Amino acid sequence: MTRRWGRALLPLILLAAASCVTPGGEPGALTDIAPGERPTLESDEAGLWMEVDRIENNLKTSGHIVRDPELNAYVRDIVCRLTTDYCEDLRIYIVQVPHFNAAMYPSGMMQVWTGLLLRAENEAQLAYVLGHEIGHYLRRHSIQQWRGVRGIADALVFVQIVAAAAGQGYLGYVAQLAALGSIFAFSREQEREADQIGFELMARAGYDAGEAGRIWEALIEEREAADDPERFIFFSTHPSSEERMETLDRLAGEYSGQAGLTKTNQDAFIDATRAFRTAWLRDEVRKRDHGGFQVVLDNLIEAGEGVGALHFFQGEMHRLRGDDGDESEAVAAYRRALEAGGAPAETHRSLGLLMWKAGELGEAGRAFEDYLAAAPEAEDRAMIDSYLRQIEGDQR
Amino acid sequence: MAPRTMNRDKIRFRASKLSARRRGLIIAVVGLALLATGCTQTESFHSAGDLARPVGMTHVLLMPPDISLAEVTAAGLLEPNAEWTEMARPHILNALREMLGERNAELVTYQEAPPDSEAFHAATQLVKLHNAVGQSIIIHKYAGGNALPTKEDKFDWSLGSRAARLRDDYGADYALFVYLRDSYASAGRVALVVIGALLGGYVPGGLQFGFASLVDLHTGDVVWFNLLVSETGDLRDAESAREACERLLDEFPL
Ligand SMILES: [Zn+2]
Repeated sequence: MTRRWGRALLPLILLAAASCVTPGGEPGALTDIAPGERPTLESDEAGLWMEVDRIENNLKTSGHIVRDPELNAYVRDIVCRLTTDYCEDLRIYIVQVPHFNAAMYPSGMMQVWTGLLLRAENEAQLAYVLGHEIGHYLRRHSIQQWRGVRGIADALVFVQIVAAAAGQGYLGYVAQLAALGSIFAFSREQEREADQIGFELMARAGYDAGEAGRIWEALIEEREAADDPERFIFFSTHPSSEERMETLDRLAGEYSGQAGLTKTNQDAFIDATRAFRTAWLRDEVRKRDHGGFQVVLDNLIEAGEGVGALHFFQGEMHRLRGDDGDESEAVAAYRRALEAGGAPAETHRSLGLLMWKAGELGEAGRAFEDYLAAAPEAEDRAMIDSYLRQIEGDQR
Repeated sequence: MAPRTMNRDKIRFRASKLSARRRGLIIAVVGLALLATGCTQTESFHSAGDLARPVGMTHVLLMPPDISLAEVTAAGLLEPNAEWTEMARPHILNALREMLGERNAELVTYQEAPPDSEAFHAATQLVKLHNAVGQSIIIHKYAGGNALPTKEDKFDWSLGSRAARLRDDYGADYALFVYLRDSYASAGRVALVVIGALLGGYVPGGLQFGFASLVDLHTGDVVWFNLLVSETGDLRDAESAREACERLLDEFPL
């Protein structure tokens, strides 16, 4: 009973969590949702929307929502340029979570995680992901998944009972494998559909369709370098098969011949996200995924925007890990940060701490003084002052 | 959709203890309780001491009840049903209003604030908080295991100072929070229940599960709490919904 209820709830939770999860019925068996359409009250779709509305109301009061009006308007504007007709039906929430992810719920609630906004290099890459999620909404993938899971699970439970009653328990197991297989196949089909729609929408809006594959490649590179690849949420809902890469390449090939599809809007994208990047990078450092974070930083440094801050965070990554050689790597990174300019004031403080630890009292004292000069209102001013007095005492 | 057929029966379980606070645990608690008894239970808790009763009529604010009805598929998945939920809502509101009227308390109805207004968010947050506190109460007071030592004998749960805002906005002394889930077996599930019984096993059908709290709006404290678990009843039916509400308000202190 306990497990039955656990199992009963889990699919509901999964289903609610993102439309990028699993399977159902025949792909394309449903007509696309129409602009402004709402399901009729007696439908299973209305039940799904009801539960999702509850999730959305709770999300609205969450402390993790990024409420900055300009950033929200910027993302919303991209969505509305991708799909003018459905603009009114989609509600976008920017959620401060340091993972690459976006999710579309059946009711038109879309979540865009800040980890995606940090990793996208330009507007075209973001537009591809947004277009892909819009595809899940247009095609009603959530309700298709639900109907599919429901149908498969129902069939399976009867097969298992009959098999068990006939003393052929292994048949039930075979049926379970077959059911899982059809669920995954359906999921891949939905992802292909969403990719196709994402490409069409971004191309119609004039974006460079080749950018779609680029963000995907960067993500695969990050996962390969990650300390714990299991933590990649996007991959748990978006299977990264070779098949999928083939789809992306094929689509990019088809669209690359079209004239005028060159827009990346990189400057607009950087202008819109610049003010938030330090906060988002801070969230990434806290994940303590050094391998993955290094890839993110390398890509951002290569893009060349806000390089001073990026070197600072690279230093923080090494300092917090504290393995052999990390401290000298950190010091080198802080020095690069200060040289590049635009690094946060804490760069001086972190440098001071490491210098002090290394016994370089003179350098440590200078770094702490630089910190207080750069951040005269710092909350930890009293503590830094006490460090300076200690260092002064030790030097005598 | 078939009616559930087990006898109603009232069982008390001893308040005891547990540490983890996971939703799954609540389900486990509810499930084990049902397996042990196979029926309906309620068990209420009160804070120490008598309730402060204002002179004259007591005003009780009914917060928007958190209700969801669903169908149990053959495989035991829950499919939420919007139509049934909308059907049940007025039955529950009417029953609670009548019952409080009979108890010399006046029900103040919560005014649905415009979506996205500050009042809407404040109310959503309180309902969310009540759900979380309610689940903690169930785990700590109803499950077996280790309770937080300080919670062992006392009943001192609170929604905090935010609840006071409701006192000012509505002139109410108490707020009643209600959480209700109900599910009904689909035709396929009924078949499975029958097959299960024939094979000598037990396959659960639908389940009514809910809890309610009375919160003192002067302090934010939960002064009364009740858990309802039942394999019978149908919230889509006015009379049956009234019965469920009566069980839900068992030992209601006002
Ligand atoms: Zn997807």
